[in-house]
Amino acid sequence: MSGLMQLLSSHGIPQILIIKGAFYSIAALVCLFAILVVASPNIFHSAIYLAAVLIGVACVYLFLDAEFLAVVQVLIYVGAILTLLIFAIMLTADIRSKTPRQTLRRILISAFAALAALYAFINIIHKNPWRSAVTPPATAFSLAQLGKSLMLNYILPFEIISLVVLAALVGAIAIAKTERR
Amino acid sequence: MIPQSHFLILSAVIFSIGIFGVLTRRNVIGILMSIELILNAANINLITFNKFLGTPDGLGQVFALFVIAIAAASAVVGLALVIAVYRNSKSILINKINLMKW
Repeated sequence: MSGLMQLLSSHGIPQILIIKGAFYSIAALVCLFAILVVASPNIFHSAIYLAAVLIGVACVYLFLDAEFLAVVQVLIYVGAILTLLIFAIMLTADIRSKTPRQTLRRILISAFAALAALYAFINIIHKNPWRSAVTPPATAFSLAQLGKSLMLNYILPFEIISLVVLAALVGAIAIAKTERR
Repeated sequence: MIPQSHFLILSAVIFSIGIFGVLTRRNVIGILMSIELILNAANINLITFNKFLGTPDGLGQVFALFVIAIAAASAVVGLALVIAVYRNSKSILINKINLMKW
């Protein structure tokens, strides 16, 4: 990554332009694949597009100085949750068959609701004077600091979340197991 | 560098696409995928504010980790429910699942 950046910089392209170009192309790809996730008629293809979206979001985390979260995103989402989704699709649906077409009326109403929400969000974002416009961003937050705050400041939520995950695992096994008669 | 509002707009776009998916999908697994999109949008927001507001103990990143853990737990329980329902009614389309209606 840095080697590529040096190569491009040596050809007269400034580094800030490379970073900006990378971010906006990744953002556009993420939006495109997200639309494909919800619009694809085949549920299996949706799962593959979702993998692309999740990896793209991990790249966005890299732009926000959150390297650990980017790695966790790829490991947990793409490695675990997506595998689980694909397993569930294969267990429940005949993936060769087309899912039924959705009625146009619901699509129109849903698109209206989603676009209204998007309009409201962008309106709020544009009205607010964000701090980044006036002051430079604070110093990067390091992985060591993250570990310290997780183990010192937020130890109780951390332990509770591990209990929640354990309960979810036990509950999932209890729900999905076949009953012996 | 890239301004904060552009990260927020990206997050809003992903969130809206997820809302659209939740409303239109008939397959329960499709709805679960759209919920994952929504949770990812929330995560982008949390990490953006963590970077640009510069909290000393990294509350945004810690919360994003918790959101990922909750997303994993919800996906596990949701998919177990999907498989249990499919075994009973041989369908995972939400307009065919009327098990708990009278």
